[in-house]
Amino acid sequence: MRVKSVFCAVLLLAFGSSVALGAGPMTGKSVKVGVIADVTGSAGAYGNSQKNAYELAGDDLKAGLIDAAGASLTFDVQDSASDPNQVVNLVQKFTTDGSALMIGPTLSSEAKKADPIAVGKNLTILATSNTAQGITTMGSCVFRDSLSEEQVVPQMLVKMEKAWKVKTAAIIYGDDDQFTKTDFDIFSASLKADNIDVVDIKTFHKGDVDFKAQLTAIGEKKPDLLVIGALIEEGVKIATQAKQLGFKGHFAGGNGLNSPKFIDLAGPAGDGVIVGAAYYLGDTRGGNKTFVERYTKKFGKAPDQFAAQAYAAAQVVAAAIKGGATNSGQFCSFFGNMKPLMTVLGPVSFMSSRDVRADSAILEVSKGAFVPFK
Amino acid sequence: MLVQQLANGVFLGAVYALFAIGYTLIFGVLDILNLAHAAIFMLAAFVALSLAGLGVPLVLAFALALVVAGLLGVLLDRVAFAPLRRRNAGTLVPLISSIGAAIIMQGVARGIWGPDEQRFPANALSTAEIHIGSLTVGALDVVILAIALVLMGVLSYVLRSTALGRSIRAVAADRVAAALLGVDIERTIALTFFIASALGGAAGILIGLQYNSVSLDMGARIELKGLAIIILGGMGSVTGAVIGAFLLGAVETLSVAYISSSYRDAIAFGVMFLILVLRPTGLFGKRALRAA
Amino acid sequence: MFEFFAHHSKLIDQIGINALLALSLSISLRAGSLALAQAAFMGIAAYVSSIGAVHLGWNLGGAALAGALAAALVAAVLALPIGRLRGVFLAIATIGFGEITRIIAINWPITGGAEGLSGIPNDANTLSIYGTLAVVGFAIFLFGRTKLALAVAATREDESAARGVGIDVAGVRMGTLVAGAIVAGLAGALYAHSNFFITPGDFGFGRMEQVLVMCVIGGVTSSLGAVLGALLMTVLPELVRFLHDYREVSSGAILLGIILFSPAGIAGLWQRRT
Repeated sequence: MRVKSVFCAVLLLAFGSSVALGAGPMTGKSVKVGVIADVTGSAGAYGNSQKNAYELAGDDLKAGLIDAAGASLTFDVQDSASDPNQVVNLVQKFTTDGSALMIGPTLSSEAKKADPIAVGKNLTILATSNTAQGITTMGSCVFRDSLSEEQVVPQMLVKMEKAWKVKTAAIIYGDDDQFTKTDFDIFSASLKADNIDVVDIKTFHKGDVDFKAQLTAIGEKKPDLLVIGALIEEGVKIATQAKQLGFKGHFAGGNGLNSPKFIDLAGPAGDGVIVGAAYYLGDTRGGNKTFVERYTKKFGKAPDQFAAQAYAAAQVVAAAIKGGATNSGQFCSFFGNMKPLMTVLGPVSFMSSRDVRADSAILEVSKGAFVPFK
Repeated sequence: MLVQQLANGVFLGAVYALFAIGYTLIFGVLDILNLAHAAIFMLAAFVALSLAGLGVPLVLAFALALVVAGLLGVLLDRVAFAPLRRRNAGTLVPLISSIGAAIIMQGVARGIWGPDEQRFPANALSTAEIHIGSLTVGALDVVILAIALVLMGVLSYVLRSTALGRSIRAVAADRVAAALLGVDIERTIALTFFIASALGGAAGILIGLQYNSVSLDMGARIELKGLAIIILGGMGSVTGAVIGAFLLGAVETLSVAYISSSYRDAIAFGVMFLILVLRPTGLFGKRALRAA
Repeated sequence: MFEFFAHHSKLIDQIGINALLALSLSISLRAGSLALAQAAFMGIAAYVSSIGAVHLGWNLGGAALAGALAAALVAAVLALPIGRLRGVFLAIATIGFGEITRIIAINWPITGGAEGLSGIPNDANTLSIYGTLAVVGFAIFLFGRTKLALAVAATREDESAARGVGIDVAGVRMGTLVAGAIVAGLAGALYAHSNFFITPGDFGFGRMEQVLVMCVIGGVTSSLGAVLGALLMTVLPELVRFLHDYREVSSGAILLGIILFSPAGIAGLWQRRT
């Protein structure tokens, strides 16, 4: 028994992201949050950003930059290796190990297998990167702080139409990935609503590197706008190769492209791409400036949207603890009644559908940086 | 548009061919499918990228990374394949040990370079384009196609006309007979692994340059198609692999252009399936390496 | 004990489903044919059983049988064109078939495409999974005592000799492919009915590779080996979870270590002595 507890303590020291110090009304209370992230495997780049964010949140709790009213708040980040079976096993772990809240998993397709298990055990869930439809409807305590593109894309198209008189568009998207397929659904509905003619639709598969066949076909139709429904890896190559092939129209993309990595990878080819997103790196509200500086210092790169949404979740959780929540039921009712809370994403609260109410960011890549699109 | 699409297909085919020729060499000589080939392909690209990042000229970084890839191949053979060879473990078991080795290499790469996709330093590459009529071709694409063709030519020459090539072909044909004829089997196999892995590494670097992207899963995403190509080409046939690669490039490009981008891979695998049904030992038959 | 079960019931279910998959592949391998279409058969059955359950209200038993039957039908049709293929050529043709199946699943509206199929009743439990496994295991055991089992072994060891003594080699190959598809189909239906939700990505090349590893680690043609291989490979990622950042590398090293230590798989550990 003693060996076991020593072992547990060592594990906690090694892997528990944080133990909050400092006095406050919640001093002596401890809250463990179970986080499921795809740190390795095919979605490793996104899960890693999330893991980084909770590590930093741990540091920031100690440094007093996040205030959990003196409670000891731990983010138990576990890697699900982009494997739905591991996700399911982790949910089961978190429903039985005293976790007060579950954050994650990284992908919507994982969430649809995992969340019902947590819901069945009355464990409150806060999703930070699930964008598919039907996530928060899985249970009355399933929340998400990731803005749906439905809340961003229509405004974005209005702005683009005003700026450039867009009449025709083509869409290229990944049809084997939920994230990018959702992009397509939302963009095509919004384009239709705006009477923009969709002249061509082409698809690709996750992991493709060569898009010249699709882009050559699209180029023939000379659309005013090319909508890219992709995550950065593919999005960068699509923008680059389209420019190489002499495409002269404008580019638009969704959340998937909102990462400083897009700029690193695309270089000058990224310029002029418009991104409808949920986070603006240059935002100065909610401690974002400090967050960006500290994250960049700790990990050698600027945070992406996945990291920001995860860090915002940590801010929301700390606020809930400050508001007296220490167990699953209390988290659920706190989130449901939360007044807009200032986070790195700007003011955040939850609608009655448990989806997030937050500002959208319509950004333009200009001279190697994301700037607000006017 | 057709001309542009055919050009797209040729460059895509060159990429597949580069990946496949090293792959098919090991397959032909040892009768094993080496699923760690894709991991070496990826590691070489990262090594070259790191060297280029340190300011090593690109040509030198390329050469050094090839040597690293080749040595990794030899190490892979010693660790994952040689012990099984001594015990006559058949073809399925080495396939699994190569999967184990690939997972290790993937994990090591993740530890060293992190999970994010990376690119070569911005000034390392030419982004010039060549316009011929309505055809647009990247200068880099042409250079890469040329390098790919040269590497394929050199490999064919080595296999056909050098003492090493004769040893490799003898080992591929009949290991016991080759030993009786005085061929040093283990040395030949080690050299085969060196050459094949260096070629795989070259493919990784060139593809990394062409698409300006080096990532952990760059090997995994080309692996299945590479596998299809070398088997379609016929066991261990370098010529078959090259033809299979260009065929795949053309089928993919044309199906995107004229049929459906959603069904591109289904069409590509469908064509492969049909060819195999008609020619059950691939395009260039069984044991083509013997006659290479 | 009860607590252990409550905390790990999902893992225990996964082991049972993976054991079915590994068994299904070992049935094909027993006749010496490297047909790697298990993930596709699994997927076909998963979709048929789930669509039946979601839209037509089928219960688990009916859905699983319909799924397995659909997989068996597809396997019987597939067996015809691939009859002449052997070894790696057969392997890649069947992997190609698997990719085609997956892409059809992505594009066919009834499957929900990449956004997946949700609302699948969660009615497969540990009892139904291990009950199925027991029935399948018993059937394989019974089959092993028949004369047909000898025909299967003969086909594996020496095809032309088998043909020489009058064995219908093509029939044996088709039979094992179909039998394997039924078992994979049952696994697929159980998988869908214990996971709420499926996407085409659940049944791709990665899944096939996993099943192959389980089967070979277990010892290719041994049923008990296949089950143990599935047990080991399913539990391994959770066992090494405490290694954190070194989890991936150590999983690979353990896999490599086992196969080098016993190239005949886990079954080789006891078979070698006999």
